[in-house]
Amino acid sequence: MRRFVAFAAVFAVATMVSAASFAKEDTREAALRSAEMSRFEAQVNADAKALDRLLDSDLEYVHSNGDFDTKASFIESLVNGKRDYIASTANIQGVRILGDVAIIRGTARVTVADNGQSRDLDLGYTDIWVWKDKRWQMTAWRSARMPPPATK
Amino acid sequence: MRPRFLLALFVSLPLVALAAPRGDETSARAALAARFDAALRADVPALEKLLADDLEYCGVRATCSTKAQYLESVRSGTRKFRSLKPEIERVTMYADSAVLTGKVYSVSIIDGAERNVDAYFLVVLAWRDGRWQMTNQSSTSLEAKPKT
Repeated sequence: MRRFVAFAAVFAVATMVSAASFAKEDTREAALRSAEMSRFEAQVNADAKALDRLLDSDLEYVHSNGDFDTKASFIESLVNGKRDYIASTANIQGVRILGDVAIIRGTARVTVADNGQSRDLDLGYTDIWVWKDKRWQMTAWRSARMPPPATK
Repeated sequence: MRPRFLLALFVSLPLVALAAPRGDETSARAALAARFDAALRADVPALEKLLADDLEYCGVRATCSTKAQYLESVRSGTRKFRSLKPEIERVTMYADSAVLTGKVYSVSIIDGAERNVDAYFLVVLAWRDGRWQMTNQSSTSLEAKPKT
């Protein structure tokens, strides 16, 4: 009987640890998806305060045209209007969490102001997030322009 | 006796995992260099080991391939290189993964014609089965830069 109780106790603890771990992952994925959407919104609003929390200090942001930004230069370009995102619609296609690193893959339609006119960019993107200071922070972004749909 | 053994096992497993050898920055750099080299040589068996089963390979045209699709393109010769010169600029180590960024300068052969494809790359390596495996590569073309 004593053996059974000991075994059951070990099993129960293992199950609880495992269940807690799965629940934690669900919570972290939900937080990650939310952070991703908040980041797109913060870029459109040029919200430096929000971006400061959402972007990692080591951020490498490579735009689809090959321009490279650090965290400081990216936020500065949004605040001073050098980059002007009018709207963005993101579609997350895949999320993978590898411990303290997460990979998001998706597509986005980004409307930018360009010489007084608006221009739509259709992008395929990958961004990498890291779990730091109990929150997700984006540390890298790569995107590529999607070819225009074939015309008949 | 048995419950004690199980309890000891339960407590010690995380310690064993912590004591297991992990990949370091040098081995991560070497794994990525080996991956580029295997791609240049179209070495499918080497790529099988170097690529993770859940690979996402996203090229400069915004299309992504799975591991099977990527290997098939190498096998069939759809993806072929005359030269492939990576410059690994930054490596950031995490618990079970590494993020590597840099540039790659390549001459690819498409339908018999050579084409320069230079790109920023972003690679995530995962430490699995005692070795680094590439689980994501995403690229942005450097060629796009002068156009905007």
